[in-house]
Amino acid sequence: MSFDPVVRLAGVSRVHGDGPQAVAALREVSLDVAAGELVAVMGPSGSGKSTLLNLAGGLDRPTSGEVVVEGRPLSGLSAGDLAGLRRRHVGYVFQDLNLIPSLTAAENVMLPRELDGVRMGQARREAMAALEEVGLAEVAGRFPEEISGGQRQRVAIARALVGERRLILADEPTGALDTPTGDDVLQLLRARCDAGAAALLVTHEPRYAGWADRVVFLRDGAIADSTLPLESAR
Amino acid sequence: MAIRQGLLALLSQGPRYGYQLRAEFEASTGATWPLNIGQVYTTLSRMERDGLVAPGEQDDQGRVVYTITEAGRAEMERWFGTPVAQSDRPRDELVIKLAMAVTAAADVRPVIQAQRVATMRTLQELTRAKRASVAGPAQRLVLDSMIFQAEAEQRWLDHCEAVLTASPQTQERQT
Repeated sequence: MSFDPVVRLAGVSRVHGDGPQAVAALREVSLDVAAGELVAVMGPSGSGKSTLLNLAGGLDRPTSGEVVVEGRPLSGLSAGDLAGLRRRHVGYVFQDLNLIPSLTAAENVMLPRELDGVRMGQARREAMAALEEVGLAEVAGRFPEEISGGQRQRVAIARALVGERRLILADEPTGALDTPTGDDVLQLLRARCDAGAAALLVTHEPRYAGWADRVVFLRDGAIADSTLPLESAR
Repeated sequence: MAIRQGLLALLSQGPRYGYQLRAEFEASTGATWPLNIGQVYTTLSRMERDGLVAPGEQDDQGRVVYTITEAGRAEMERWFGTPVAQSDRPRDELVIKLAMAVTAAADVRPVIQAQRVATMRTLQELTRAKRASVAGPAQRLVLDSMIFQAEAEQRWLDHCEAVLTASPQTQERQT
């Protein structure tokens, strides 16, 4: 295992528009997330939280600065290579779960692996393992509308975890879930980090940020404060 | 103070020695409220005076078993049946500090930011303690309470910042 961070943002800025209308969504943000680390990003709306997440996952490109995922600078990658890197290394969990309603839980989790070109039998085995990990093996054959909101969110997490993804990006993953169910979601992210993944969690809920090793406060597109990492007692 | 009622609640489960009461009190409250043995015996002797508990014979090691009385049970039930009054809670230094900072026209923002980082740190530590905890439901609920309080404080700090940013008074001061 290397000591390089799984994701590194180095002096990253993102400006929307140009000239006098230009708006800086992110200004000179530098942030490393190492394997095993769960970093929470907090801040008022419009402070750049989601922009930061999109840049870290290669869904958006910075105006200046560099994003490095698993040692590969994203600026040098073609659109095709970037898409490949996203699929293989990055798992996304969003508030609106984006599960495909016509596919079963297992098929939803298999999908990214099938897109990677993994054979169906293998993809199914990996999907079952990921569903097992989130405690949902028994609903693998059900459709999203047949399971609870909390279960749907866990399926979305299984989909983000399937395969060898080491970078997990979660944008308000607890959405409208009640407190115990939201705690379950954080428990899963935490366990995945303890097993060696790196996760960036955007949340406006202090209680969920409390699960992180480090909490970064964004304000007006810049890092205003951050808690020191807790001594590793995991 | 709730020490005496807490001890009564423990004694309602059966007679106990003083040292047992102390251990059980701390186990239930997750060591958030450490009692020293002196406090336990002082409280027990006052409760004995008030007829809420009755001591048994001293055993050969000089230990005394205490038993709850009917009056003690009634006091415990009265306690459980009465909501905690807001005025019985200690004042919150942070609230006073921020109010004073605003009144004295000090720069409130660094006060808020420093507190936010400190409170978040507390929240991280509490969350870790809860994850590591193998204790029973009483301790878990105590930890949950502390987590909710830290969370509320964090939300309140965000609120303070938003209100002060929007307030024309503070904006004038900043310019």
